[in-house]
Parts: sequence; C-alpha cells; structure tokens
Amino acid sequence: MDAALVRVEGVARAHAGRRALAGVDLELARGEVLALLGVNGAGKSTLLKLLAGVLKPDAGTIRIAGEDLLGNPTAARRLIGYLPERAPLYRDLTVAEGLDFCLRLRGLRGAAARAARDRALARCGLAEVARRLSGVLSRGQQQRVGLAQAVVHAPALLLLDEPTAGLDPVQTAGFHTLVLELAADAAVVLSTHQLHDVEACASRVAILHEGRVVDRLARDGFDALQQRFFAAAMGVRAA
Amino acid sequence: MSAILAIAGREWRAAFSSPLAWTLFAGSCGLAAWWLLLAVDGWSQNAAAIAARAEAPGVTDLVVAPHLASVCALLLAIVPLLTMRSVCGERRDGTLPLVFSAGAGDAELVLGKFLGAWSIALLLVALLVAMPLLLALGTPLDFGRIAAAAAGIALLAGALCAIGVLASAVAHHPATAALGAMGAGALLWIVDAAARTRGDVNGLVNYMAIPGHLTAALRGVLASVDLVYFVLLAGFCLALATRFVARIREDG
Repeated sequence: MDAALVRVEGVARAHAGRRALAGVDLELARGEVLALLGVNGAGKSTLLKLLAGVLKPDAGTIRIAGEDLLGNPTAARRLIGYLPERAPLYRDLTVAEGLDFCLRLRGLRGAAARAARDRALARCGLAEVARRLSGVLSRGQQQRVGLAQAVVHAPALLLLDEPTAGLDPVQTAGFHTLVLELAADAAVVLSTHQLHDVEACASRVAILHEGRVVDRLARDGFDALQQRFFAAAMGVRAA
Repeated sequence: MSAILAIAGREWRAAFSSPLAWTLFAGSCGLAAWWLLLAVDGWSQNAAAIAARAEAPGVTDLVVAPHLASVCALLLAIVPLLTMRSVCGERRDGTLPLVFSAGAGDAELVLGKFLGAWSIALLLVALLVAMPLLLALGTPLDFGRIAAAAAGIALLAGALCAIGVLASAVAHHPATAALGAMGAGALLWIVDAAARTRGDVNGLVNYMAIPGHLTAALRGVLASVDLVYFVLLAGFCLALATRFVARIREDG
C-alpha cells in the first residue's frame, strides 16, 4: 500500500523553448502541508498547474491517490482542488451560485451538491456573504471564495498558488488558520515566496530554483529556512 | 457531459445578467417588427393588384419570406455580439483555470460555449420567426415552407455561433472578437460575388458562400447538401477553436 497521497516522479516541462521544470520528484501524504518556496520564475506555479491537470508534463508521472493524472485524468482531477494566484471568480454570480457552478462542472447536483456548498461556505467563513455577488467582496473575502471553490468537492489534494498575495496581515493570519484547518482532511501544496506563509502553515518545504528542487527542509529545520532560501535563490545549492 | 451542460448554462446566466443580451433581443425584435410592418403595409396596398394576377404569389412569398431573409442578415450582426465574450471574457477574468481544473477539457469548454450561445441564438430566432405567424390570424400561410426556412435559419445561427466562439478564442478583447466574427460572416456572405459576376455558379467558392445554402430553405426545401455545409462549417470552426483554447491553456 502506497502511503503517499501524491507521488511526482521525474516531471519536466518546457515553455516557449525554455525549461520551466526539470526532473522534479515529490511525495506528499494526507495531512501534510508542503510549501513550494522560490523566487519568481522558479517554477512553482508551473508545478501547481501540472498537479492541477491544467498543464501536461513533457516527461514524468503524477499520481494522486494511485490515479495517474495523465492516464486517468477524470478520476484524478476529482481528488484535486486548485486555487490559482488570482482567485477565479465569476463577478456576476453570488458566492453560493459560484460554488453551485463548480459543483455542476464536476457533475454534482441536487441535495448532495447543496450540502457540499453549505459545508464549504461554513468552513471558509462565507455563510454571511453567500448571497452577495463575488465581484463586490473585499480582496480577503474573494480569496476565501476562491478557496471555497477549490474545496467545495472535498478534494484529497489542495493546491494553493500564492494564496496570501495582496492580503493584509489580519487577512493573511486568518487565511493561514483556514489552510491549517483544511489540511486536517487533505494534503496541501502551497506555492509562495513569503517566508511567513511557510512558517505559519507548512510541515515541509521544497525550495525551487530554475525549475529544479534544490533543497528540502522538514519543520524542525525551519530555523535555517531564510539562509537556505537565499542560498538557493543565488544559485548555491545547500549542503 | 455534465461540464458541457454546466458551461452552457453558465452562458445563459452571463448573457442575461448583463444588459447586452436584453438590448440585442429588444433591438432585434423592434427592427424585425418594423421591417415586417413595412412589408405588410406594402402588401396590403397592392393586395388587389396582386390577387388579379394569374398564379398570384401569396403572403408567404411576399411578406414572410422577405422577413425571414432579413432575419438572416440580422443574425450576421447580432450573433457575434452574443458570442464575443464567450472564451476571451473568461480569459480576461482569469476564470479558465477554474474550468480546466474541474476536469473540463478544451473541447468540452468549446462545446459548452457553443451550445450556450446557440441556444440563446435559437431563442432569438424563435421570436423573430414567430412574428409573421401572427398573419395566420387573417390569411393562410405556408407553414411547411416557414418551418423549412426556420430550420435553415437555425442552422445559420449555429454556424455563426461557431464562428463567434472561434473568434472569441482567437481574440484577446471581446470587441475584436465581435468584429472578427462579423467580418468572417460577411466574407462568407459575399465570397462568391466575383465568381457570380463572371457567371460561375458551381465552383468551390460558390459552395463556400452562405446565401446559396439558405436560398432553398427560404423556398421551403431543406436540402441535405445545405445541412452538411452548415454542419461542416460549424464543426471546422469548433475544431479550430478547440486548438486555440488548448494554446490558451498551455500558455497559462
């Protein structure tokens, strides 16, 4: 029995003739929060898009709970929730209608869909704004709506791309708490270049630089996080 | 299939939650009603003279058929405005990753957009085609001919929607998509003009022109060759749109 919920092996991806990712290997178990740390252009967002099934790798395999994301994308994508850097909101829909649309896209309707929607609204603290248009909400609330859309179908793997970008410190702290609550039921991959995101949420860190994982740290090694991040950013591979 | 239907349903919501679709529907109906009243007025003023002719044409020939022909021309302008935001609106709003990560493929997105737009266009076609049916209260109409013409117009609407979705997948801005789709529709309308001037009526360029595939339907005959033409045109545009959507997805 494979203990890893997510298994990424030898994943590579080029974009416009430039290497975006090369030979990335990762493993992640349920309940873990893996932070992908790196400077802009390190390949974090590309890796998340590959894990979300939005992009296809040029080489390598991605398995989610044993399902091959390339070989059986429909089954694998059911297990994934993805929040891109810019929360994908239909500004003419209310928060609840946006969640209903996400559920319909995944083939969920009726009482089960309504229950899933209400659960996501409650978990993300959006019950009070459920009938408001997404477009008129604050930046922090919109980010929560994006997160609710990502978790509404109770995914086993949650992918968050720069989720705290543009949030004020109070909203950021609230978002960290929310991510930790959601991580109780799922594996979370968090892309960020904010060290405070890592320190608040992550149980492990993979530092990316120029499309490669150049360093890995467990939570007990976070004391050296800043030093090793800067070393990686300058292209010096840590020992 | 559920993703296609969800995306199509979302198109309805997007269209009718903005003033654009309501304005287009109201404007189209107002314009078509005005044209119809002009045609009815012209017919009623000459009704006695027309009736005196041997093999006199009926109301269907003189009023309904021209009305339906003008509906075709109206669709050339209206459908691109209905479809202009279908793909590039999502691209600009950053909502495509939501659709893709939920499991919808490129073809499902394009088909959902197309079915949504076509069903909205069919509602408009139904309203415009129903207008002259009111004349049946006072005079006999050739319902078989009107039904064939309506089917032809529905096929035209489908082809124009496919062109519109393609333009929306290519363009970065909705206005560019609308202009591109209008230009493509107009080009297909007049593509055989030069050939006709030379007297060529059976060449490939004639086959590509839209009007030649509507003439029979407006006369009450829905020919399989015309059906195939519209299906091929729509299928080609949707296949191309799928390629462009794949490129959008790959580019992130």
